[in-house]
Amino acid sequence: MSSSLLDLFDEPEAGDDRVAPTNSDPPAPAAPAPEPRRVLSVGELAGQIRARLEREFGDVWVEGEVSNCRPWKTGHIYFTLKDATAQVKGVVFRSAARRLRFTLEDGLHVVARGRVSAYTPKSEYQLVCEHLEPAGLGALQLAFDQLRQQLDAEGLFDPARRRPLPALPRKIGVVTSLDGAAVRDIINVLRRRYPNAHMVIRPTRVQGEGAAAQIAQALAAISAVDGVDVVIVGRGGGSIEDLWAFNAERVARAIAACPVPTISAVGHETDVTIADFVADVRAPTPSAAAELVVARKDEFAGRIDQLARRVTTAIEAVLHRANSRLRALEAQAGYAGFHTRVALLARRVTELGHDLRYQIDDGLAGRHRALRALRDSLHGFDLRRRLGALRTRLVEADGALRAAVVAARHEAGQRFGNASARLDTLNPLAVLGRGYAVCWNADRTAVVQRAGEVGPGQQVRVTLAEGELQCTVTEVDTGTERG
Amino acid sequence: MADSTIKDFEAAIAELETIVRQLEEGDLPLERSLALYERGVQLSRYCHARLEDAERRIEVLTERGELTDAPDTLGGDGA
Repeated sequence: MSSSLLDLFDEPEAGDDRVAPTNSDPPAPAAPAPEPRRVLSVGELAGQIRARLEREFGDVWVEGEVSNCRPWKTGHIYFTLKDATAQVKGVVFRSAARRLRFTLEDGLHVVARGRVSAYTPKSEYQLVCEHLEPAGLGALQLAFDQLRQQLDAEGLFDPARRRPLPALPRKIGVVTSLDGAAVRDIINVLRRRYPNAHMVIRPTRVQGEGAAAQIAQALAAISAVDGVDVVIVGRGGGSIEDLWAFNAERVARAIAACPVPTISAVGHETDVTIADFVADVRAPTPSAAAELVVARKDEFAGRIDQLARRVTTAIEAVLHRANSRLRALEAQAGYAGFHTRVALLARRVTELGHDLRYQIDDGLAGRHRALRALRDSLHGFDLRRRLGALRTRLVEADGALRAAVVAARHEAGQRFGNASARLDTLNPLAVLGRGYAVCWNADRTAVVQRAGEVGPGQQVRVTLAEGELQCTVTEVDTGTERG
Repeated sequence: MADSTIKDFEAAIAELETIVRQLEEGDLPLERSLALYERGVQLSRYCHARLEDAERRIEVLTERGELTDAPDTLGGDGA
Protein backbone atom coordinates (compact mmCIF):
# COMPACT_ATOMS: atom_id res chain seq x y z
CA MET A 1 0.00 0.00 0.00
CA SER A 2 2.63 2.47 0.97
CA SER A 3 4.66 1.81 -2.14
CA SER A 4 1.69 2.49 -4.37
CA LEU A 5 1.05 5.60 -2.34
CA LEU A 6 4.51 6.86 -3.05
CA ASP A 7 4.06 6.07 -6.72
CA LEU A 8 1.62 8.90 -6.85
CA PHE A 9 4.30 11.41 -6.27
CA ASP A 10 6.90 12.11 -8.87
CA GLU A 11 9.40 13.14 -6.32
CA PRO A 12 9.54 13.74 -2.67
CA GLU A 13 9.28 17.40 -2.10
CA ALA A 14 11.34 19.74 0.03
CA GLY A 15 10.53 19.43 3.64
CA ASP A 16 10.73 15.74 3.39
CA ASP A 17 13.23 14.73 5.97
CA ARG A 18 14.83 12.15 3.75
CA VAL A 19 17.42 13.29 1.30
CA ALA A 20 16.43 12.48 -2.18
CA PRO A 21 19.20 11.51 -4.49
CA THR A 22 19.07 13.75 -7.53
CA ASN A 23 21.58 14.13 -10.25
CA SER A 24 20.87 17.80 -10.80
CA ASP A 25 22.17 18.71 -7.39
CA PRO A 26 25.56 20.38 -7.54
CA PRO A 27 28.13 18.17 -6.02
CA ALA A 28 28.62 18.98 -2.40
CA PRO A 29 31.89 20.82 -1.91
CA ALA A 30 32.35 19.05 1.31
CA ALA A 31 30.41 16.66 3.30
CA PRO A 32 27.94 19.00 4.92
CA ALA A 33 27.47 18.85 8.54
CA PRO A 34 24.68 16.45 9.00
CA GLU A 35 21.54 18.18 10.08
CA PRO A 36 20.20 17.05 13.32
CA ARG A 37 18.11 14.04 12.64
CA ARG A 38 14.39 14.61 12.74
CA VAL A 39 12.86 11.34 13.55
CA LEU A 40 9.13 11.16 13.00
CA SER A 41 6.80 8.90 14.75
CA VAL A 42 4.75 6.63 12.49
CA GLY A 43 1.70 8.61 13.46
CA GLU A 44 3.34 11.87 12.48
CA LEU A 45 4.30 10.44 9.11
CA ALA A 46 0.88 9.12 8.47
CA GLY A 47 -0.61 12.41 9.56
CA GLN A 48 1.62 14.39 7.27
CA ILE A 49 0.85 12.13 4.37
CA ARG A 50 -2.78 12.51 5.06
CA ALA A 51 -2.55 16.27 5.23
CA ARG A 52 -0.64 16.36 2.01
CA LEU A 53 -3.09 14.08 0.22
CA GLU A 54 -6.05 16.07 1.32
CA ARG A 55 -4.46 19.33 0.32
CA GLU A 56 -3.33 18.05 -3.04
CA PHE A 57 -6.45 16.05 -3.94
CA GLY A 58 -9.15 18.12 -2.27
CA ASP A 59 -11.36 18.15 -5.32
CA VAL A 60 -10.80 15.64 -8.09
CA TRP A 61 -12.85 14.02 -10.82
CA VAL A 62 -12.08 10.36 -11.44
CA GLU A 63 -13.56 8.03 -13.98
CA GLY A 64 -13.55 4.29 -13.52
CA GLU A 65 -15.51 1.11 -13.02
CA VAL A 66 -17.26 0.29 -9.79
CA SER A 67 -16.50 -3.03 -8.18
CA ASN A 68 -16.78 -4.59 -4.79
CA CYS A 69 -19.70 -2.33 -4.02
CA ARG A 70 -21.08 -2.78 -0.50
CA PRO A 71 -23.87 -0.59 0.82
CA TRP A 72 -23.84 -0.51 4.61
CA LYS A 73 -26.78 -0.39 6.90
CA THR A 74 -25.60 3.00 8.08
CA GLY A 75 -26.30 4.31 4.60
CA HIS A 76 -22.68 4.67 3.55
CA ILE A 77 -21.59 2.85 0.43
CA TYR A 78 -18.09 1.43 0.12
CA PHE A 79 -16.69 0.38 -3.21
CA THR A 80 -13.59 0.17 -5.32
CA LEU A 81 -13.03 2.27 -8.38
CA LYS A 82 -10.76 0.68 -10.90
CA ASP A 83 -9.45 0.75 -14.39
CA ALA A 84 -7.12 -1.54 -16.28
CA THR A 85 -4.06 -0.42 -14.37
CA ALA A 86 -5.03 0.46 -10.85
CA GLN A 87 -7.72 0.66 -8.25
CA VAL A 88 -8.71 3.11 -5.55
CA LYS A 89 -11.00 2.59 -2.63
CA GLY A 90 -13.99 4.84 -2.49
CA VAL A 91 -16.84 5.70 -0.19
CA VAL A 92 -20.08 7.60 -0.54
CA PHE A 93 -21.28 8.78 2.82
CA ARG A 94 -24.94 8.61 3.67
CA SER A 95 -25.78 12.24 2.96
CA ALA A 96 -24.29 12.02 -0.52
CA ALA A 97 -25.69 8.53 -1.10
CA ARG A 98 -29.20 9.85 -0.52
CA ARG A 99 -28.77 12.30 -3.35
CA LEU A 100 -27.82 9.59 -5.82
CA ARG A 101 -30.47 9.15 -8.48
CA PHE A 102 -29.39 5.64 -9.34
CA THR A 103 -28.19 2.59 -7.51
CA LEU A 104 -24.44 2.18 -7.34
CA GLU A 105 -23.55 -1.33 -8.36
CA ASP A 106 -20.67 -3.40 -9.60
CA GLY A 107 -19.72 -3.01 -13.22
CA LEU A 108 -21.04 0.50 -13.57
CA HIS A 109 -18.78 2.94 -15.31
CA VAL A 110 -18.94 6.18 -13.35
CA VAL A 111 -17.43 9.61 -13.02
CA ALA A 112 -16.84 10.46 -9.39
CA ARG A 113 -16.12 13.79 -7.83
CA GLY A 114 -14.63 13.97 -4.39
CA ARG A 115 -11.59 14.34 -2.25
CA VAL A 116 -8.90 11.91 -1.28
CA SER A 117 -8.67 11.17 2.38
CA ALA A 118 -6.51 8.80 4.36
CA TYR A 119 -7.27 6.57 7.25
CA THR A 120 -4.17 7.03 9.33
CA PRO A 121 -4.45 4.03 11.62
CA LYS A 122 -3.88 1.86 8.59
CA SER A 123 -2.36 4.35 6.21
CA GLU A 124 -5.05 3.59 3.76
CA TYR A 125 -6.47 6.22 1.58
CA GLN A 126 -9.75 6.44 -0.23
CA LEU A 127 -11.78 8.66 -2.45
CA VAL A 128 -14.62 10.29 -0.52
CA CYS A 129 -17.21 10.88 -3.19
CA GLU A 130 -19.56 13.83 -3.04
CA HIS A 131 -21.14 13.15 -6.39
CA LEU A 132 -21.29 10.25 -8.77
CA GLU A 133 -22.76 10.06 -12.21
CA PRO A 134 -22.86 7.31 -14.74
CA ALA A 135 -20.31 7.82 -17.46
CA GLY A 136 -21.98 8.25 -20.83
CA LEU A 137 -25.55 7.63 -19.70
CA GLY A 138 -27.55 10.17 -17.74
CA ALA A 139 -28.19 9.39 -14.11
CA LEU A 140 -31.96 9.45 -14.60
CA GLN A 141 -31.79 7.09 -17.50
CA LEU A 142 -29.64 4.73 -15.51
CA ALA A 143 -31.97 4.86 -12.52
CA PHE A 144 -34.87 4.17 -14.85
CA ASP A 145 -33.14 1.18 -16.39
CA GLN A 146 -32.14 -0.18 -13.03
CA LEU A 147 -35.61 0.02 -11.52
CA ARG A 148 -37.12 -1.37 -14.65
CA GLN A 149 -34.82 -4.35 -14.54
CA GLN A 150 -35.45 -4.92 -10.89
CA LEU A 151 -39.24 -4.79 -11.11
CA ASP A 152 -39.20 -6.86 -14.25
CA ALA A 153 -37.15 -9.50 -12.46
CA GLU A 154 -39.76 -9.48 -9.70
CA GLY A 155 -42.42 -10.18 -12.28
CA LEU A 156 -44.30 -6.91 -11.89
CA PHE A 157 -44.45 -6.39 -15.64
CA ASP A 158 -45.75 -9.86 -16.35
CA PRO A 159 -48.58 -9.53 -18.87
CA ALA A 160 -50.44 -12.21 -16.92
CA ARG A 161 -50.75 -9.75 -14.04
CA ARG A 162 -52.70 -7.31 -16.17
CA ARG A 163 -56.34 -7.28 -15.31
CA PRO A 164 -59.07 -6.42 -17.78
CA LEU A 165 -60.80 -3.11 -17.26
CA PRO A 166 -64.34 -3.36 -15.91
CA ALA A 167 -66.88 -3.62 -18.68
CA LEU A 168 -68.81 -0.77 -17.18
CA PRO A 169 -67.12 1.15 -14.38
CA ARG A 170 -69.36 2.24 -11.54
CA LYS A 171 -67.02 4.97 -10.40
CA ILE A 172 -63.87 6.07 -12.16
CA GLY A 173 -61.05 6.97 -9.78
CA VAL A 174 -58.58 9.61 -10.88
CA VAL A 175 -55.25 10.32 -9.17
CA THR A 176 -53.70 13.52 -10.44
CA SER A 177 -53.23 17.20 -9.68
CA LEU A 178 -56.33 19.38 -9.57
CA ASP A 179 -54.32 22.19 -11.16
CA GLY A 180 -53.00 20.28 -14.13
CA ALA A 181 -54.25 19.81 -17.65
CA ALA A 182 -54.79 16.10 -17.13
CA VAL A 183 -57.84 16.40 -14.89
CA ARG A 184 -59.54 18.77 -17.30
CA ASP A 185 -58.77 16.58 -20.27
CA ILE A 186 -60.24 13.57 -18.52
CA ILE A 187 -63.37 15.44 -17.47
CA ASN A 188 -63.89 16.78 -20.98
CA VAL A 189 -63.58 13.40 -22.60
CA LEU A 190 -65.88 11.75 -20.10
CA ARG A 191 -68.47 14.48 -20.48
CA ARG A 192 -68.47 13.98 -24.21
CA ARG A 193 -68.51 10.22 -24.34
CA TYR A 194 -70.08 9.12 -21.12
CA PRO A 195 -72.25 11.94 -19.91
CA ASN A 196 -73.44 10.13 -16.81
CA ALA A 197 -69.98 9.08 -15.64
CA HIS A 198 -69.29 9.15 -11.93
CA MET A 199 -65.73 10.27 -11.15
CA VAL A 200 -63.85 10.42 -7.90
CA ILE A 201 -60.69 12.50 -7.97
CA ARG A 202 -57.95 12.20 -5.39
CA PRO A 203 -55.77 15.30 -5.81
CA THR A 204 -52.02 14.86 -5.38
CA ARG A 205 -48.83 16.63 -6.18
CA VAL A 206 -47.48 15.11 -9.35
CA GLN A 207 -43.99 16.56 -9.34
CA GLY A 208 -41.36 17.76 -6.95
CA GLU A 209 -40.61 16.88 -3.38
CA GLY A 210 -42.93 14.28 -1.90
CA ALA A 211 -44.92 13.75 -5.09
CA ALA A 212 -44.14 10.05 -5.32
CA ALA A 213 -45.21 9.44 -1.73
CA GLN A 214 -48.45 11.34 -2.27
CA ILE A 215 -49.27 9.50 -5.46
CA ALA A 216 -48.69 6.16 -3.75
CA GLN A 217 -50.95 7.14 -0.84
CA ALA A 218 -53.60 8.48 -3.18
CA LEU A 219 -53.71 5.20 -5.09
CA ALA A 220 -54.32 3.28 -1.90
CA ALA A 221 -56.96 5.74 -0.72
CA ILE A 222 -58.95 5.96 -3.92
CA SER A 223 -59.09 2.27 -4.59
CA ALA A 224 -60.71 1.88 -1.18
CA VAL A 225 -63.64 4.15 -2.09
CA ASP A 226 -66.81 2.12 -2.45
CA GLY A 227 -67.71 1.60 -6.08
CA VAL A 228 -64.42 2.73 -7.57
CA ASP A 229 -63.54 -0.12 -9.90
CA VAL A 230 -60.91 1.45 -12.13
CA VAL A 231 -58.26 4.10 -11.46
CA ILE A 232 -56.55 6.49 -13.84
CA VAL A 233 -53.21 7.75 -12.50
CA GLY A 234 -51.23 10.34 -14.36
CA ARG A 235 -50.47 13.91 -15.29
CA GLY A 236 -49.99 16.10 -18.33
CA GLY A 237 -46.78 16.55 -20.25
CA GLY A 238 -43.55 17.96 -18.84
CA SER A 239 -39.82 17.50 -18.73
CA ILE A 240 -38.35 14.17 -17.72
CA GLU A 241 -37.70 15.66 -14.28
CA ASP A 242 -41.35 16.75 -14.04
CA LEU A 243 -42.52 13.25 -14.80
CA TRP A 244 -39.99 11.67 -12.51
CA ALA A 245 -42.38 10.81 -9.70
CA PHE A 246 -43.97 8.25 -12.04
CA ASN A 247 -40.62 6.49 -12.24
CA ALA A 248 -40.43 6.13 -8.48
CA GLU A 249 -40.31 2.67 -7.06
CA ARG A 250 -42.99 3.37 -4.47
CA VAL A 251 -45.40 4.58 -7.12
CA ALA A 252 -44.71 1.47 -9.16
CA ARG A 253 -45.36 -0.70 -6.12
CA ALA A 254 -48.52 1.21 -5.23
CA ILE A 255 -49.85 0.61 -8.73
CA ALA A 256 -48.96 -3.06 -8.53
CA ALA A 257 -50.73 -3.31 -5.17
CA CYS A 258 -53.85 -1.46 -6.31
CA PRO A 259 -56.83 -3.78 -5.85
CA VAL A 260 -58.64 -2.45 -8.91
CA PRO A 261 -57.34 -2.19 -12.48
CA THR A 262 -55.21 0.87 -13.15
CA ILE A 263 -54.61 2.95 -16.25
CA SER A 264 -51.39 4.95 -16.35
CA ALA A 265 -51.56 8.18 -18.29
CA VAL A 266 -48.38 10.16 -17.95
CA GLY A 267 -47.35 13.02 -20.19
CA HIS A 268 -47.47 12.59 -23.92
CA GLU A 269 -47.43 9.64 -26.22
CA THR A 270 -43.64 9.50 -26.30
CA ASP A 271 -43.16 9.60 -22.53
CA VAL A 272 -42.70 6.19 -21.05
CA THR A 273 -42.53 5.76 -17.30
CA ILE A 274 -42.14 2.85 -14.94
CA ALA A 275 -45.78 3.40 -13.98
CA ASP A 276 -46.70 2.50 -17.56
CA PHE A 277 -45.04 -0.88 -17.25
CA VAL A 278 -46.78 -1.78 -14.00
CA ALA A 279 -50.26 -0.47 -14.78
CA ASP A 280 -52.87 -2.82 -16.17
CA VAL A 281 -53.27 -0.55 -19.17
CA ARG A 282 -50.97 2.16 -20.45
CA ALA A 283 -52.70 5.13 -22.02
CA PRO A 284 -50.56 7.46 -24.09
CA THR A 285 -52.23 10.55 -22.59
CA PRO A 286 -54.81 11.37 -19.91
CA SER A 287 -57.45 11.99 -22.61
CA ALA A 288 -56.73 8.60 -24.09
CA ALA A 289 -57.14 7.05 -20.65
CA ALA A 290 -60.61 8.55 -20.38
CA GLU A 291 -61.42 7.22 -23.81
CA LEU A 292 -60.27 3.75 -22.87
CA VAL A 293 -62.69 3.76 -19.96
CA VAL A 294 -65.72 4.96 -21.83
CA ALA A 295 -65.21 3.50 -25.26
CA ARG A 296 -66.59 0.45 -23.64
CA LYS A 297 -69.96 2.01 -23.07
CA ASP A 298 -70.58 2.40 -26.80
CA GLU A 299 -69.22 -1.02 -27.47
CA PHE A 300 -71.48 -2.66 -24.96
CA ALA A 301 -74.61 -0.78 -25.91
CA GLY A 302 -74.15 -2.13 -29.42
CA ARG A 303 -73.43 -5.59 -28.16
CA ILE A 304 -76.50 -5.70 -25.94
CA ASP A 305 -78.70 -4.58 -28.80
CA GLN A 306 -77.24 -7.22 -31.02
CA LEU A 307 -77.81 -9.91 -28.41
CA ALA A 308 -81.37 -8.73 -27.84
CA ARG A 309 -81.98 -8.90 -31.57
CA ARG A 310 -80.62 -12.42 -31.74
CA VAL A 311 -82.77 -13.51 -28.81
CA THR A 312 -85.80 -12.16 -30.62
CA THR A 313 -84.88 -13.81 -33.89
CA ALA A 314 -84.30 -17.10 -32.12
CA ILE A 315 -87.61 -17.07 -30.28
CA GLU A 316 -89.37 -16.17 -33.50
CA ALA A 317 -87.80 -19.20 -35.10
CA VAL A 318 -89.05 -21.32 -32.20
CA LEU A 319 -92.56 -19.94 -32.59
CA HIS A 320 -92.37 -20.37 -36.32
CA ARG A 321 -91.54 -24.03 -35.92
CA ALA A 322 -94.45 -24.48 -33.54
CA ASN A 323 -96.63 -22.80 -36.10
CA SER A 324 -95.41 -25.07 -38.86
CA ARG A 325 -96.32 -28.08 -36.81
CA LEU A 326 -99.83 -26.73 -36.47
CA ARG A 327 -100.06 -26.11 -40.18
CA ALA A 328 -98.89 -29.60 -40.91
CA LEU A 329 -101.65 -30.89 -38.68
CA GLU A 330 -104.11 -28.63 -40.38
CA ALA A 331 -103.23 -30.13 -43.72
CA GLN A 332 -103.33 -33.64 -42.39
CA ALA A 333 -106.61 -33.45 -40.55
CA GLY A 334 -109.65 -32.87 -42.62
CA TYR A 335 -112.66 -32.42 -40.44
CA ALA A 336 -114.10 -29.14 -39.36
CA GLY A 337 -114.00 -29.34 -35.59
CA PHE A 338 -110.39 -30.32 -35.49
CA HIS A 339 -109.45 -27.88 -38.16
CA THR A 340 -111.02 -25.04 -36.25
CA ARG A 341 -109.29 -25.99 -33.04
CA VAL A 342 -105.90 -26.17 -34.69
CA ALA A 343 -106.45 -22.92 -36.55
CA LEU A 344 -107.31 -21.19 -33.32
CA LEU A 345 -104.16 -22.50 -31.65
CA ALA A 346 -102.08 -21.48 -34.61
CA ARG A 347 -103.46 -18.03 -34.54
CA ARG A 348 -102.85 -17.70 -30.85
CA VAL A 349 -99.26 -18.75 -31.16
CA THR A 350 -98.77 -16.30 -33.99
CA GLU A 351 -100.38 -13.54 -32.02
CA LEU A 352 -98.25 -14.24 -28.99
CA GLY A 353 -95.21 -14.18 -31.22
CA HIS A 354 -96.16 -10.77 -32.55
CA ASP A 355 -96.89 -9.61 -29.07
CA LEU A 356 -93.44 -10.57 -27.82
CA ARG A 357 -91.84 -9.23 -30.92
CA TYR A 358 -93.58 -5.94 -30.54
CA GLN A 359 -92.20 -5.58 -27.07
CA ILE A 360 -88.65 -6.29 -28.06
CA ASP A 361 -88.82 -4.13 -31.17
CA ASP A 362 -89.92 -1.33 -28.96
CA GLY A 363 -86.76 -1.81 -26.96
CA LEU A 364 -84.49 -1.85 -29.97
CA ALA A 365 -85.87 0.87 -32.17
CA GLY A 366 -83.14 3.32 -31.32
CA ARG A 367 -80.70 3.01 -28.51
CA HIS A 368 -81.16 6.00 -26.31
CA ARG A 369 -84.45 7.37 -27.49
CA ALA A 370 -86.15 4.02 -27.42
CA LEU A 371 -84.64 3.18 -24.11
CA ARG A 372 -86.27 6.17 -22.57
CA ALA A 373 -89.58 5.20 -24.13
CA LEU A 374 -89.04 1.70 -22.88
CA ARG A 375 -88.38 2.86 -19.40
CA ASP A 376 -91.52 4.98 -19.50
CA SER A 377 -93.56 2.10 -20.76
CA LEU A 378 -92.19 -0.04 -17.99
CA HIS A 379 -93.87 2.21 -15.53
CA GLY A 380 -97.17 1.29 -17.18
CA PHE A 381 -97.08 -2.44 -16.74
CA ASP A 382 -95.23 -5.14 -14.99
CA LEU A 383 -93.24 -6.78 -17.71
CA ARG A 384 -92.38 -9.88 -15.80
CA ARG A 385 -95.97 -10.64 -14.92
CA ARG A 386 -97.07 -9.92 -18.44
CA LEU A 387 -94.42 -12.17 -19.89
CA GLY A 388 -95.29 -14.76 -17.30
CA ALA A 389 -98.90 -14.72 -18.42
CA LEU A 390 -97.88 -14.93 -22.05
CA ARG A 391 -95.66 -17.80 -21.22
CA THR A 392 -98.42 -19.65 -19.43
CA ARG A 393 -100.70 -19.18 -22.40
CA LEU A 394 -98.06 -20.38 -24.79
CA VAL A 395 -97.24 -23.39 -22.70
CA GLU A 396 -100.91 -24.25 -22.56
CA ALA A 397 -101.03 -23.83 -26.28
CA ASP A 398 -98.05 -26.13 -26.61
CA GLY A 399 -99.71 -28.74 -24.41
CA ALA A 400 -102.89 -28.50 -26.42
CA LEU A 401 -100.81 -28.72 -29.54
CA ARG A 402 -99.19 -31.94 -28.46
CA ALA A 403 -102.58 -33.39 -27.54
CA ALA A 404 -103.86 -32.22 -30.87
CA VAL A 405 -101.02 -33.93 -32.71
CA VAL A 406 -101.78 -37.19 -30.96
CA ALA A 407 -105.48 -36.81 -31.54
CA ALA A 408 -104.95 -35.88 -35.15
CA ARG A 409 -102.84 -38.94 -35.82
CA HIS A 410 -105.48 -41.07 -34.22
CA GLU A 411 -108.23 -39.39 -36.19
CA ALA A 412 -106.31 -39.64 -39.37
CA GLY A 413 -105.73 -43.33 -38.84
CA GLN A 414 -109.41 -43.93 -38.21
CA ARG A 415 -110.47 -41.86 -41.13
CA PHE A 416 -108.16 -43.77 -43.39
CA GLY A 417 -109.72 -47.04 -42.28
CA ASN A 418 -113.24 -45.74 -42.75
CA ALA A 419 -112.42 -44.20 -46.08
CA SER A 420 -110.98 -47.44 -47.42
CA ALA A 421 -114.16 -49.22 -46.59
CA ARG A 422 -116.21 -46.48 -48.18
CA LEU A 423 -113.96 -46.34 -51.20
CA ASP A 424 -114.82 -49.93 -51.94
CA THR A 425 -118.50 -49.18 -52.01
CA LEU A 426 -118.05 -45.91 -53.84
CA ASN A 427 -115.65 -47.19 -56.53
CA PRO A 428 -117.03 -45.39 -59.57
CA LEU A 429 -116.06 -48.23 -61.85
CA ALA A 430 -118.48 -50.44 -59.99
CA VAL A 431 -121.38 -48.69 -61.78
CA LEU A 432 -120.14 -49.93 -65.13
CA GLY A 433 -121.48 -53.28 -64.12
CA ARG A 434 -124.89 -51.71 -64.33
CA GLY A 435 -124.46 -50.86 -68.02
CA TYR A 436 -122.79 -47.44 -67.81
CA ALA A 437 -119.70 -46.59 -69.83
CA VAL A 438 -116.95 -44.07 -69.38
CA CYS A 439 -115.84 -42.01 -72.35
CA TRP A 440 -112.16 -40.88 -72.31
CA ASN A 441 -110.23 -38.60 -74.57
CA ALA A 442 -107.91 -40.24 -77.09
CA ASP A 443 -104.91 -40.60 -74.81
CA ARG A 444 -107.07 -41.56 -71.86
CA THR A 445 -106.01 -38.70 -69.67
CA ALA A 446 -109.40 -37.11 -69.11
CA VAL A 447 -112.99 -38.14 -69.06
CA VAL A 448 -115.12 -36.54 -71.76
CA GLN A 449 -118.03 -34.94 -70.01
CA ARG A 450 -119.42 -32.67 -72.76
CA ALA A 451 -119.90 -33.47 -76.38
CA GLY A 452 -118.36 -30.11 -77.30
CA GLU A 453 -115.02 -31.23 -75.92
CA VAL A 454 -114.40 -33.37 -79.02
CA GLY A 455 -114.93 -32.76 -82.68
CA PRO A 456 -115.86 -35.00 -85.67
CA GLY A 457 -113.02 -37.22 -86.75
CA GLN A 458 -111.39 -37.29 -83.28
CA GLN A 459 -110.68 -40.50 -81.45
CA VAL A 460 -112.19 -41.36 -78.04
CA ARG A 461 -111.96 -44.46 -75.89
CA VAL A 462 -114.88 -45.95 -74.11
CA THR A 463 -114.48 -48.10 -71.04
CA LEU A 464 -117.11 -50.73 -70.53
CA ALA A 465 -117.64 -53.09 -67.60
CA GLU A 466 -115.36 -55.41 -69.48
CA GLY A 467 -112.87 -54.06 -72.04
CA GLU A 468 -112.56 -50.82 -73.94
CA LEU A 469 -113.57 -49.50 -77.36
CA GLN A 470 -111.54 -47.26 -79.63
CA CYS A 471 -114.09 -45.01 -81.38
CA THR A 472 -114.09 -42.28 -84.02
CA VAL A 473 -116.51 -39.39 -83.56
CA THR A 474 -118.64 -38.88 -86.68
CA GLU A 475 -121.02 -36.26 -85.43
CA VAL A 476 -121.21 -33.94 -82.44
CA ASP A 477 -124.44 -33.03 -80.83
CA THR A 478 -123.78 -30.54 -78.02
CA GLY A 479 -127.34 -31.00 -76.88
CA THR A 480 -127.93 -27.26 -76.67
CA GLU A 481 -130.61 -27.22 -79.41
CA ARG A 482 -132.63 -29.60 -77.39
CA GLY A 483 -132.49 -27.13 -74.53
CA MET B 1 -82.85 -1.85 -11.25
CA ALA B 2 -81.94 -4.01 -8.29
CA ASP B 3 -82.34 -7.61 -9.33
CA SER B 4 -80.94 -10.20 -6.99
CA THR B 5 -80.76 -12.78 -9.77
CA ILE B 6 -78.24 -10.67 -11.71
CA LYS B 7 -74.77 -10.35 -10.20
CA ASP B 8 -73.41 -7.51 -12.27
CA PHE B 9 -73.14 -6.12 -15.74
CA GLU B 10 -70.48 -8.54 -16.89
CA ALA B 11 -72.42 -11.50 -15.57
CA ALA B 12 -75.58 -10.25 -17.26
CA ILE B 13 -73.85 -9.94 -20.62
CA ALA B 14 -72.33 -13.39 -20.26
CA GLU B 15 -75.66 -14.96 -19.37
CA LEU B 16 -77.37 -13.18 -22.23
CA GLU B 17 -74.78 -14.59 -24.61
CA THR B 18 -75.38 -18.08 -23.27
CA ILE B 19 -79.14 -17.68 -23.72
CA VAL B 20 -78.72 -16.50 -27.29
CA ARG B 21 -76.58 -19.54 -28.07
CA GLN B 22 -79.05 -21.93 -26.45
CA LEU B 23 -82.01 -20.43 -28.25
CA GLU B 24 -80.20 -20.39 -31.55
CA GLU B 25 -79.34 -24.06 -31.25
CA GLY B 26 -83.07 -24.44 -30.98
CA ASP B 27 -83.56 -28.00 -29.74
CA LEU B 28 -85.33 -26.97 -26.57
CA PRO B 29 -88.95 -27.60 -25.66
CA LEU B 30 -91.20 -24.64 -26.23
CA GLU B 31 -91.63 -23.99 -22.54
CA ARG B 32 -87.90 -23.84 -21.93
CA SER B 33 -87.37 -21.60 -24.94
CA LEU B 34 -89.93 -19.16 -23.69
CA ALA B 35 -88.45 -19.13 -20.21
CA LEU B 36 -85.03 -18.38 -21.71
CA TYR B 37 -86.49 -15.69 -23.87
CA GLU B 38 -88.12 -14.06 -20.90
CA ARG B 39 -84.82 -14.12 -19.04
CA GLY B 40 -83.05 -12.71 -22.08
CA VAL B 41 -85.39 -9.76 -22.24
CA GLN B 42 -84.90 -9.17 -18.54
CA LEU B 43 -81.10 -9.26 -18.91
CA SER B 44 -80.91 -6.93 -21.87
CA ARG B 45 -83.18 -4.53 -20.07
CA TYR B 46 -80.93 -4.68 -17.03
CA CYS B 47 -77.83 -4.04 -19.14
CA HIS B 48 -79.34 -1.04 -20.85
CA ALA B 49 -80.48 0.30 -17.53
CA ARG B 50 -76.99 -0.11 -16.09
CA LEU B 51 -75.56 1.84 -19.01
CA GLU B 52 -77.86 4.68 -18.22
CA ASP B 53 -78.37 4.59 -14.52
CA ALA B 54 -75.18 6.21 -13.21
CA GLU B 55 -75.52 9.83 -12.25
CA ARG B 56 -73.14 12.32 -13.72
CA ARG B 57 -71.06 13.30 -10.78
CA ILE B 58 -67.54 14.48 -9.98
CA GLU B 59 -66.35 14.10 -6.44
CA VAL B 60 -63.08 14.89 -4.73
CA LEU B 61 -61.60 12.55 -2.14
CA THR B 62 -59.87 14.70 0.45
CA GLU B 63 -56.77 13.86 2.43
CA ARG B 64 -59.01 13.09 5.37
CA GLY B 65 -60.86 10.55 3.29
CA GLU B 66 -64.02 12.62 2.84
CA LEU B 67 -65.90 12.81 -0.43
CA THR B 68 -67.00 16.26 -1.50
CA ASP B 69 -68.43 17.54 -4.76
CA ALA B 70 -65.78 18.94 -7.03
CA PRO B 71 -65.52 22.72 -7.34
CA ASP B 72 -67.49 24.23 -10.20
CA THR B 73 -64.25 25.30 -11.84
CA LEU B 74 -63.60 21.65 -12.56
CA GLY B 75 -66.93 21.26 -14.24
CA GLY B 76 -68.16 19.44 -11.18
CA ASP B 77 -71.73 20.49 -11.62
CA GLY B 78 -72.72 17.76 -9.26
CA ALA B 79 -75.81 15.66 -9.42
